Amino acid sequence: MRGAKVATSAPGGIGASVRRPDGPAKVRGEFSYAGDLTAEGMLIGVTLRSPHPHARILSVDTTAARAMDGVHAVLTVDDVPGDRHFGLVLRDEPVLADGVVRYAGEPVAVVAAVDAATARRAARAVEVVYEVLPALTDPQLALTAASVHPDGNVYRHVSYSCGDPDARGVVTVENTYRIGMQDPAFLAPEAGLARPTPDGGVAIEVATQWLHSDQKQIGWATGLPPEKVHVSLAGVGGAFGGREDVTLQTHACLLALATGRPVKIEYTREESFLAHRQRHPGTIWLRHSADADGRIVSVEGRVLLDGGAYASTSPVVITNTVTLLQGPYRVDNGRFEGWSVRTNNPSCGAMRGFGVPQAAFAHEAQLDALAAALDLDPVEIRLTNALQRGDVATFGQRFDAPTPVREVIEGLRAVPLPTGPAKAPGGVGRSAEGGTVRRGVGWAVSIKNLAFSEGHVDESTAEVSLRDGHATVHTACAEVGQGFVTVAEQVARTVLGATTVDVVQPDTLVASAGSTSASRQTMASGTAVHRACLAVRDRMLGRVARAHGLDAATLTVADGVVCAAGRPLGPVATAAPGQTFRATEHFQHPATHPLGSPEGGMYVAFGFSAQRAVVDVDVELGLVSVVQIASCQDVGTVVNPTQLLGQIEGGIVQGMGLALMEEVVVADGLITNPDLQDYLIPTIVDAPEIVSTYVTDPEPGMPHGWKGVGEPPLVTAVPVVAAAVRAATGLPLPAVPIKPEHIALGIGAAPTVTWTTPRPADPDRPRGPVVDEEPHDAPGTMAEEGAPPGP
Amino acid sequence: MSAVENPRTDVAGGTDGADGSVTFGLTVDGTAHEVTARWDESLLTVLRDRLGVRGPKTGCAHGRCGACAVRADLGDGGHVLCACLVPAATAAGGTVETIASIGGPDGALSDVQEAFLAEGAVQCGICTAGFVTAATELLETNPDPTRPEIEAALYGNLCRCTGYGRIIAAVETAARTRRGATS
Repeated sequence: MRGAKVATSAPGGIGASVRRPDGPAKVRGEFSYAGDLTAEGMLIGVTLRSPHPHARILSVDTTAARAMDGVHAVLTVDDVPGDRHFGLVLRDEPVLADGVVRYAGEPVAVVAAVDAATARRAARAVEVVYEVLPALTDPQLALTAASVHPDGNVYRHVSYSCGDPDARGVVTVENTYRIGMQDPAFLAPEAGLARPTPDGGVAIEVATQWLHSDQKQIGWATGLPPEKVHVSLAGVGGAFGGREDVTLQTHACLLALATGRPVKIEYTREESFLAHRQRHPGTIWLRHSADADGRIVSVEGRVLLDGGAYASTSPVVITNTVTLLQGPYRVDNGRFEGWSVRTNNPSCGAMRGFGVPQAAFAHEAQLDALAAALDLDPVEIRLTNALQRGDVATFGQRFDAPTPVREVIEGLRAVPLPTGPAKAPGGVGRSAEGGTVRRGVGWAVSIKNLAFSEGHVDESTAEVSLRDGHATVHTACAEVGQGFVTVAEQVARTVLGATTVDVVQPDTLVASAGSTSASRQTMASGTAVHRACLAVRDRMLGRVARAHGLDAATLTVADGVVCAAGRPLGPVATAAPGQTFRATEHFQHPATHPLGSPEGGMYVAFGFSAQRAVVDVDVELGLVSVVQIASCQDVGTVVNPTQLLGQIEGGIVQGMGLALMEEVVVADGLITNPDLQDYLIPTIVDAPEIVSTYVTDPEPGMPHGWKGVGEPPLVTAVPVVAAAVRAATGLPLPAVPIKPEHIALGIGAAPTVTWTTPRPADPDRPRGPVVDEEPHDAPGTMAEEGAPPGP
Repeated sequence: MSAVENPRTDVAGGTDGADGSVTFGLTVDGTAHEVTARWDESLLTVLRDRLGVRGPKTGCAHGRCGACAVRADLGDGGHVLCACLVPAATAAGGTVETIASIGGPDGALSDVQEAFLAEGAVQCGICTAGFVTAATELLETNPDPTRPEIEAALYGNLCRCTGYGRIIAAVETAARTRRGATS
């Protein structure tokens, strides 16, 4: 750890490996999750879903279902009292299918009955007549195919250039990379319990990432004002982006309002795959040109992301992928373009990394291809091109905060390679043959934007109170497992000197905290809690000053003790007996702006990460064992060493899953593996040894210099595992997940390497970014790239 | 439990109802229950929905994630299994120990539970009861497991949050603690 800047604090404060406050209940099996919810008189809600990826609904007859004993409600789109459409960014998705279904699994009707079996029977008794339509399942065809939605087939097209994209060094390398569809696969399927409230409104306890977004969208469909829609967080069993969109929330509320009874919906694992948003599968074409010492001269890139049937966050994700194609490297000349498009495949949206793992997989493969072409060391070429503070991004934003790219690479290089015997590839059976196992070592570095971007307001609010040393912290920040409850407690201990802290279960009685996503909640809600604690502390110290006839400016809190000019006065717990001090504080990051805006940057902050993977590959069977992944990450400051390590290790293993085994397989619009038997997530046998080191360069403007840490480990793990497998096999492997047959049969095209006459950048070309409204090219041409570049 | 019409006694430890349900005895966490359930109900459904025992969790309901792991003695001496895969009626007359049966003296945490907290092996926690159950059985049969032995004992349990590193550390810590306490 370079200059480990861990703040000193009260016991259990910032910098300590404080245990989770919800931990004891979790290890006892007593913590209540959404799936554990129950209520007197509760009905069970079940969803009828479309079996077709694209069909016209000719008729829906609910007569038989409604007539069944024990059935209390059968709702279709005609029973939606408010707006029939919802969505995180564009309101293009029907609450229940409205004449057309656009993906297999789209909700058509919802049923509430006395028990699950009755509800399922009733759902089967709903008679739906479909006219099956041709399904648009190839995203390359989305631009030219007939629209499958009135809003068209393009969620967003992004195109810009900077400097002189036609500048050339001595070599160009180009290739087309493919990334499969990854499922968040949180282990607790979606669940929630809605109840009608006496004021004619509705209350729902639900496992979600974003309470106020749910509240807003429930309000649209029910026609209720926000004050009559109360959302509170139920225990969440993992999220990873997959709970950012509304799934069952609105359905449960509509059923509760229709029946006057509490209604619980809990998805099966199969429904979970069908209902929530996956990571965008994509195709990325990249062409890098470099000079003889490996310095990047220009980069051209095009991206096509399959957004599936409804928008979700597709218009936002595409910009992350396109703008971060440059990687953590200085790129002065480039042209970048991308589309997120609508198809009849499953809808894609947020998943940890939010478009950036796709970019990182492609740009890191390119860096290795450049190094190989120029006979350079893969670490040296990354150091040569590493971004530095003060550099300007291709998208025009200046890196004006610490940009420790070189530092994370150097920090990683200091970690020794593993020695000793490693576990053989082949799972728990270790079925690999010793004679065909090859070791490979790969390197990767990444950049990840932190917090919301492009003008989406990133804010949070905290209410804090203190009485006799006991603090209460209330925010709407969803605890999904990441440990915000621990961070909130640590802040209250450090700032207030609180001896006990109660972190209230989040709800919509406090202002929005935004989503638990984008690596943002320590920065947003943590900072709101910090500010509210400062305000409470100042009120308490003001009272103490008046009681003791002291100047409040001389009073401080340290280690749970109130001090006057550094001299202990007494414990915080007894400083103002019986008095309660309260404060509510809001935090909002400085505004961000859309791509190309002259007003300022697109992103709040960035995090950087370097990793080195060591793998053993049975080159005949195509089996991979990841022996070790070493990581060095830019983390601002270490808030809680144990929780930080949990984010690094968990993120790396999720990224490794995308690199080697995880893929939602979609055939003709149908998910063929919607279960944990055929959708493989890493087991304890697959998990590598992980060595985690940090660069701690405090983030300006953030308390203690903290910054988001949750996504970069995943982003880097995808390219680093692929690089190591390439090193072991000598194969190009331009697609993830890398499947055994890719290795055993050598599937995948190698980069095209072209030697070029150097052509310096035209100095008259604008530094950029210059945003193009019109498509510069068409996504369908990407597979045919490979023509010699430039003059 | 509801009364059963036409009770039959030719079902092992139970009686068969005309509606396809079966009634049988089941001891869960030391408490004897008489359970009436449909033939096709899993032990997990009986535990969670009929008996209100919520420690075992529903992660996949097809035996891949281990969130529902319990220790069950179905006349075979007892071992950890996925409650979602066991038809409840086949557990007739058996005993089941869920996470609620695991703990230290006087309501304290067990050494395994304590180690899971200390090492940061818990994030969202939906898998935790299953891991603690499986790890507890491992250490009872093998007090000094190697890393491959830990992996072999726990590969039926999935965790999506931790990447498993802290879970392995917790099992190793619990094993050390236990050896230290008994040496």
